[in-house]
Amino acid sequence: MHVAQANEAPNHFRSSAARPSSLTLLRTAVAEVLSRRHLIRYLLRANLKKQGTDTILGNVWWLLDPLISMVIYVIVMTYIFQRRTPDFPLFLLAAMVPFKWFTGSISGGVGSITGNGQLIKQIQFPKLVLPLTAVVAELVNLVFGIVILLAMLVLVYPAHASFLVLWIPVIAVVQLFFTLSLAIVLSAVTVFYRDIGNLISHLMRLLLYTAPIIWSFDDVQGRGSQLEAAIGHAGFVILKDNPLAILLESYRHVIYGVANGTEWLPPVPPDLIQLGIILLVSLGLCALAIILFKRLEPAFAKVL
Amino acid sequence: MAPAPPGERTALDVRGAGAPNPRPASEISAAAPALAMQARNLGVQYNLRFTRKTKLRTSFQNILKRRRQGDSHFWALKNVTFDLQRGESLGVIGPNGAGKSTLLLVLAGIILPSSGSIEVTGHVSTLLSLQAGFDQELNGRDNISLAGALMGIDRQVVDSLMEDIIDFADIGAFIDAPLKTYSSGMRARLGFAIATAVDPDILLLDEVLQTGDEVFREKSRQRIIEILRAARAVVLVTHDMRWVREFCTRAMLIENGRITADGSPEDVVKLHLEHSEERKRERAEKIAAMARGEIPVSSVRLRRGRKGSQRPVD
Repeated sequence: MHVAQANEAPNHFRSSAARPSSLTLLRTAVAEVLSRRHLIRYLLRANLKKQGTDTILGNVWWLLDPLISMVIYVIVMTYIFQRRTPDFPLFLLAAMVPFKWFTGSISGGVGSITGNGQLIKQIQFPKLVLPLTAVVAELVNLVFGIVILLAMLVLVYPAHASFLVLWIPVIAVVQLFFTLSLAIVLSAVTVFYRDIGNLISHLMRLLLYTAPIIWSFDDVQGRGSQLEAAIGHAGFVILKDNPLAILLESYRHVIYGVANGTEWLPPVPPDLIQLGIILLVSLGLCALAIILFKRLEPAFAKVL
Repeated sequence: MAPAPPGERTALDVRGAGAPNPRPASEISAAAPALAMQARNLGVQYNLRFTRKTKLRTSFQNILKRRRQGDSHFWALKNVTFDLQRGESLGVIGPNGAGKSTLLLVLAGIILPSSGSIEVTGHVSTLLSLQAGFDQELNGRDNISLAGALMGIDRQVVDSLMEDIIDFADIGAFIDAPLKTYSSGMRARLGFAIATAVDPDILLLDEVLQTGDEVFREKSRQRIIEILRAARAVVLVTHDMRWVREFCTRAMLIENGRITADGSPEDVVKLHLEHSEERKRERAEKIAAMARGEIPVSSVRLRRGRKGSQRPVD
């Protein structure tokens, strides 16, 4: 009997007349997520467990997955694109690993509600945990990727190694909030417009080339004006000063350093003002995303 | 409209979205209100514009032309008003697509009412679908933990209930196999064991008791009787009239989203069977008339889809 009492849900009152304010929604959402922390933890663990089952190598795949995709990227980009940037594998992976986290979180987040329709129609729980889990699950992959990257830095490219890599967690936190806000909005809107899911996968492929991953703004300075002429000033600014580009360049600056033609300069700390602005904007976006999500949440079970 | 108990409903609680702030134990044992549920004028509206087949183009057209505002909405439930007392076992019956499952979804808080209000006192446990379980890839044990986490129950509590649940489900070695390998009967056993393990104040069941074999039916029957004896409430959607007659203390007939009868199981079941017969006869007559060529086929509308979207047959 004590068992049931400990878990007694509050008296529920649901009325069509209730139209809570945005602030109330935000507070509810935060309280819900905090009270269901162990649900998120559980979903994460289940996620990892599933990745290992049905495979011969099991959990080795956690490490093998990022490693293999890194090797493929390095082979393709180094030998096919013939880049002259020194220590190109490190140059590439310093941005590619966090970019994979970004695309993984977004594509995971987009389908997190639509992919769990059965669950949503079966039981009442805060749906916000679904996009959250999708993003945090990818964080695990980032950690494995970073571990491999650091090992590579020390063993293969010791000349690039510096204590500036301690900035990585700071940049990752900023990226986490930026990614979260996008994932939350996309997960909710996709329920009503499935087309977004299709669109996003193409957008991610486009970003692979338009974001500074296989190239860097440090490196195109000379050709910057050329690029600017081609896509216009506004386009250039959007390309260079969008949060994702700044984040990716920051990772590269602390891990690899600054690429400059056939030379490279040692690592530099990230631009804290830029990062600070992105963090503040992302937090604001997160709040708006959560409010939008909570407004749409009641309709999920009807549409799915 | 349901009166609001003063002070109880802070702004945070209004949606019942379930930040589970535990109720003090004293309140439960002391008050133990007789009323488990209070539904007032409940209505649920589906917007057909947003059901699965929405295309960006059509919704743009809808926005631009604001056309057919009327038929893009569909009331799955309307004017549903009833009280559910503790200790009552309510059987909800009615034809397919009448709104029975929608009613359970509203009572469970999975969808919000489009009109009216619903007040629920106590912990609600639901078993609404059999095909799914929670995660096909995980084994039975992990699914129990996952279900507990989804229902907002502490890990330690779930762990302490684990053996009871496995015992009751009685699916042998399958408890350590992934859910996707289960038969529908095993899913029913596991689902029912989970749903009833937490001593729910209100248990909502949708079409779940048919699947099991006789042994399981007998066991779940016992469990439901236990729940009722503990002055808790059960709402059950079923097509099994025998079950309604034997184990429900009350029955409700839902047709076209409205309650058309509410009372003793015997009377309501009788009415339902009469209505079913009537519908069967009507349909047979219509088909016969069509065969004789008295009414053109094009004037007949076929009901398509569960949510009752109607389309003329070309």
